[in-house]
Amino acid sequence: MKHEDTHLSDQQLLLDVDGELSAHDQKLVRTHLDGCWTCRARRQELETAISDFIRVQRGLDATLPPGAGPHALLKAQLSQIPAAELDRVSSWFPVAPRFAWTLAAFACSVLAVCLALLGLTGGRQDAAGSAVIFSVPDSTLTPGATLLQSRQAVCAQANTKNKVVSVALQRKVFQEYGITGAKSRDYEVDYLVTPALGGADDIHNLWPHSYSATEWNAEVKDALEDRLRDLVCDGSLDLAEAQREIAVNWIAAYKEYFHTDEPLADRQRNIQ
Amino acid sequence: MSSRLTDSAALPIMGAASAAEPAARRARLEEDVVALFDQFREPLLRYLSTFGLALADSEEVIQEVFLSLYQHLHRDKSRENLRGWLFRVAHNLALKRRYRTRRDLAVWGEAGAEDVAIDPDPNPEDRLVNSQTQRRLLAVVQALPEQDRKCLSLRAEGLRYREIAEILSMSLGAVSLSLARSLARMARSAER
Repeated sequence: MKHEDTHLSDQQLLLDVDGELSAHDQKLVRTHLDGCWTCRARRQELETAISDFIRVQRGLDATLPPGAGPHALLKAQLSQIPAAELDRVSSWFPVAPRFAWTLAAFACSVLAVCLALLGLTGGRQDAAGSAVIFSVPDSTLTPGATLLQSRQAVCAQANTKNKVVSVALQRKVFQEYGITGAKSRDYEVDYLVTPALGGADDIHNLWPHSYSATEWNAEVKDALEDRLRDLVCDGSLDLAEAQREIAVNWIAAYKEYFHTDEPLADRQRNIQ
Repeated sequence: MSSRLTDSAALPIMGAASAAEPAARRARLEEDVVALFDQFREPLLRYLSTFGLALADSEEVIQEVFLSLYQHLHRDKSRENLRGWLFRVAHNLALKRRYRTRRDLAVWGEAGAEDVAIDPDPNPEDRLVNSQTQRRLLAVVQALPEQDRKCLSLRAEGLRYREIAEILSMSLGAVSLSLARSLARMARSAER
């Protein structure tokens, strides 16, 4: 680098500012800067541009949602990785989560086909007999996903009714769970973490909840969701905690919050 | 920040001895991963905003990143420069996510207008309505070519040129040229 006669380039100035020059080049640049006001002024302009960019970044920070929800979700997801899966992954090949879901979905569809065949050969054609029953989601397909809203935002929602899941998305959920041929009236494609508690409109938060075939049905879960939302909004339960409890095991959460081992009878009566 | 990362005292390296107690090891690994998540979620979110993903998508990508990190550490892989590792994996997963999102939108678009999911969740940048200077600067940044924005963003998160070059598959010279070009553009806009 010859710096005696010509001015430094922006690139050279920046390399110097960022400490990316070799000791030798840095010395040359510094010597030039000592004698050249023009280049010093230019370096100052570049530094100002850097602070401007950082200012834009900081402005961005103010719009980022709080990390408590994602923090809790990560913890829940980590604790749910079965030890066997970790070992298998390490001795096998690195399975991307997505691919693992594909595998799980494939396994589900094989299972569904087998069940359907059983149903046919056994001559059981009634709806209840051939429908696969889901009262809890498959945690690999539906780990739960939240929208990162604050408690205030969640509780300020006027309409707590679940948004209708689009037909295309419902189809995808059925497909993931290997029940493509199932009757849609047998299942509510349900949010694992309800939007009324900040749940996201995302396939990882949706699963086919059987309506009638089990006592732990979609209507029972709705009661839990109402209860948790009340607790969150009156300040007696942390939003992230509520999301986590419902995502990890909603039946256990129901038992805990309703102090019961079975779905409450009056709720059941309301359903009929 | 970087010194904290390379500090092995902050992140104890699991030796063979600890493999004898898998449960305790797991708990420690989980703790490490969650601590890194708390430290790097926001920097990663800022970087992912250059991909134009919706916030919820970026958050999901970050979850995936840290689940991969957990498996990475579980396999006793190197703990050297985890920051570089995190940004690299986030970059790759975000590219994949963006590809998939666009493809899904294209497929759903054919299925009928009502089926198309319009994401109501804006990118953080779209929410940013601050002072006029802030808006002008943001406009300049947003007008930069995507690769240049990524360079700037990674540099702002403290990555060295070598790491940036590796993540973005560029030469060192290209990184320094890109940064100088972007800053010159911002400096020019400030003059006006």
